[in-house]
Amino acid sequence: MAQIQESGGQGNGKKRAKKQSTQVDMTPLVDLAFLLLTFFVLTSTFSKPKVLRMIFPEKLEKDNPNVKPPEVKNGLTILLTENDQIYYYNGALNKETEMIRTDYTKKGLRSILVERNAPLIDKLKKLQIELGKANENDTATKNRVEREAKEAQIASKLVVLVKHSKDATYENVIDVVDEFLITQVAKYFVVDEGLDPMEEELIKNLENE
Amino acid sequence: MPKVKMPRSTPALDMTPMVDLAFLLVTFFMLTSSFRAPEPVILDPPSSTTEVQIPKQVFLIMIDKEGRAFVEITNPVVKTTVLKQMMKEFKSPGMTAEDIKQFGGVGPVGLRVAEIPQFMELESTERTSYEMRGVPYDTAAAKIKNCELYYWAYFTKIEAHNDYKRREEEARLRNMEFDKSNYIQFAIKAASDAKYDRIQDIINVLREAKVKEFQMITGLESAPE
Repeated sequence: MAQIQESGGQGNGKKRAKKQSTQVDMTPLVDLAFLLLTFFVLTSTFSKPKVLRMIFPEKLEKDNPNVKPPEVKNGLTILLTENDQIYYYNGALNKETEMIRTDYTKKGLRSILVERNAPLIDKLKKLQIELGKANENDTATKNRVEREAKEAQIASKLVVLVKHSKDATYENVIDVVDEFLITQVAKYFVVDEGLDPMEEELIKNLENE
Repeated sequence: MPKVKMPRSTPALDMTPMVDLAFLLVTFFMLTSSFRAPEPVILDPPSSTTEVQIPKQVFLIMIDKEGRAFVEITNPVVKTTVLKQMMKEFKSPGMTAEDIKQFGGVGPVGLRVAEIPQFMELESTERTSYEMRGVPYDTAAAKIKNCELYYWAYFTKIEAHNDYKRREEEARLRNMEFDKSNYIQFAIKAASDAKYDRIQDIINVLREAKVKEFQMITGLESAPE
């Protein structure tokens, strides 16, 4: 189509000028086409970002004295402070509370969460195995496993609070929430109040030791 | 004595089918991919291991390191409707119908409502160099419901519902299946090094508008075993 066959050489020296090829070189066209193709293929597949879902409960009415913020007695409180520092303590806050320092690595925060959340992780793992064994069309088992997983999450005793100082970055919070997802922590709250004065003092004492 | 002539054959390869195919694919990708409008700030979001895809339609709030907020609604129809309501609420000077229509495609904006008409009068090349100071938001409890960001979220929430109903009705009339997942959701894209306090302030403004669920846009990180 795009190339015209040159006429077979009728060996006559005088008519040589007519022998010029009328072929169109399509290589640049193909180059361009593939360049565009590559561009569109790459841009259209890689521009899909991922999302991390976060839920914030409705605001408490501050003026109403009957509504009190929930107290966490048997939980874990994680404190995010400046320069990517991270501290935590167990249970309620008082002068004897043991403030512990940790970090964002696998051996730091994750191992603590895995240890504390072991009952739920085990339960969910068992359910997952059960689901793996079940027949594909067995919706009854599927529904039961789903329901039991939800019940286990609701019954989970581990409650984690995340507090942050005014110098904590967005990345710190996302990293911590991501750790919760990895370790399947079912109940966690990122609260918007800053550090308590007592917490700040405990951190200071820990640093001075 | 006549010379022996070799039959001349051109070793050309017919590339036509290949070019046809290449252009077919180019056309396909060109038509299916939607171009995002240029973003006023370049943000580097933190990474996480989640594999949840971003919802099809979002009300996106971009927050940069200084805490400036930029808003974008990925549905142009909803975006222009919300803009009209914002202009009514804040008694902004009028805009031409053409400018309002164009607003749907200008990408994230970080402007006061009063600034939008003059911003839209600029040529599209001039817009990229326009200094945006962010959508104003307030943190004081008394003022939180008067700030512009609150109204963006408030109107979008209403319009998201209207848009859903409209598409549901349309699908019913045409006897087509209705995609229920296609609801406008609230997403946040913030710089990794932004102070979390600023983001919490913005989240608090949106919580005031009864938004509870946020999709935090993150980069991908490989999941641990």
